[in-house]
Amino acid sequence: MVENFPLKVGQKVPSFEIETYDPVSKDFGKFDFDKAKADQKWTILFFYPADFTFV
Amino acid sequence: MAAEIVTVSTDSKFVHLAWQRSEKELEKVKYTMGSDSTGNLSRMFGVYDEQTGMDLRGTFIINPDGILLNAEVNFYNLGRNIDELMRKFKANMYMAKKTNEVCPSKWKDEGDVTLSPSASIVGRVHEALEKK
Repeated sequence: MVENFPLKVGQKVPSFEIETYDPVSKDFGKFDFDKAKADQKWTILFFYPADFTFV
Repeated sequence: MAAEIVTVSTDSKFVHLAWQRSEKELEKVKYTMGSDSTGNLSRMFGVYDEQTGMDLRGTFIINPDGILLNAEVNFYNLGRNIDELMRKFKANMYMAKKTNEVCPSKWKDEGDVTLSPSASIVGRVHEALEKK
């Protein structure tokens, strides 16, 4: 899976799914990238080093 | 909002919950907090630091067709400017509608000057940016 990574701008992002915590519903869930696309949504990913640090 | 915003670190969803619950600064946070405990998603975007197991400060905008349109990565010690992120996001949405226009560096919102690349503005970009 690794040969085309990291992705470059202009490339297609492959399907992925990650576990989530939603602070609004205060519940666990999943973010499914394919579902976001199916719903015609943009996706913004915001990576940061670690919880309990100064983000 | 036309976008799913997901904040991602390599912490587990349980730690996300605990942090959001205890940190007053995060009381009003409404973005989904994603857990990439394997680092696989982070590696895909080139932000995984194999030495520390943490993620660099990377921001990525992906359109509804799944194409990566913007990538910005900062080292640990530099925070990101949310206004600039929103500027890029708005510009991308605008250009998705107006496919023959491009947004110059000073573009902030709909109504600001855009450029329509063509032979006539080659060497005349300054004039094209001035007229409104």
